Amino acid sequence: MKNRLKLLRTEKGWTQADLGDRLGVSRQAVNALETEKHDPSLDLAYRIASLFERPVEDIFENPHG
Amino acid sequence: MSSLWKSGTAAHRRYVIRTMAFMLPYMAICIAMMVTDAFDQIMGTPAAWVLAAAVSAPIMGQIWATLSLMRESDEFVRAVTAKQFIVAAGLAMAVATFWGFGETFAGAPHLPAWLIYPLFWGAFGVVSPFIRDSNA
Repeated sequence: MKNRLKLLRTEKGWTQADLGDRLGVSRQAVNALETEKHDPSLDLAYRIASLFERPVEDIFENPHG
Repeated sequence: MSSLWKSGTAAHRRYVIRTMAFMLPYMAICIAMMVTDAFDQIMGTPAAWVLAAAVSAPIMGQIWATLSLMRESDEFVRAVTAKQFIVAAGLAMAVATFWGFGETFAGAPHLPAWLIYPLFWGAFGVVSPFIRDSNA
């Protein structure tokens, strides 16, 4: 799923491990999200949106819209 | 396994410890059966069934260790591990079935059924580097 996660993360100056710690997931999971190798669950998508204080649609491209 | 220890999460490190704990007794019994005469006395007796159960028990432990890794990991690791497990199990079952019918229909030499377990982990090792995403 296309997303702006890497851009948002680097704007904050965080490493993948930093973001993983904040989200409660592994660095591998963050890397997989950024490289579109993993589509997040609804729960994880909302956690990411909450962390960056943006709507989910601002971070993840709606593949059906 | 060592790379899993270095680069993996805490759940991965627990998995490595649990794997060692279950695989060492499994391998010790297998090697003892092959290279020593320690169990020769009980072969063909009811006690041999106890030996068969003893060498099989760590396999259930290893499955538990894998399920624990999935339970203690995040959703990405869980999904990828499940995918690797399913593909490896499918390959091992396909090869075992092929050989079994080969024995039945084509006179292939008999192989012991316990080989499916090392075959499964061999398949797991082969497919894992190629299964790194959860959504393809």
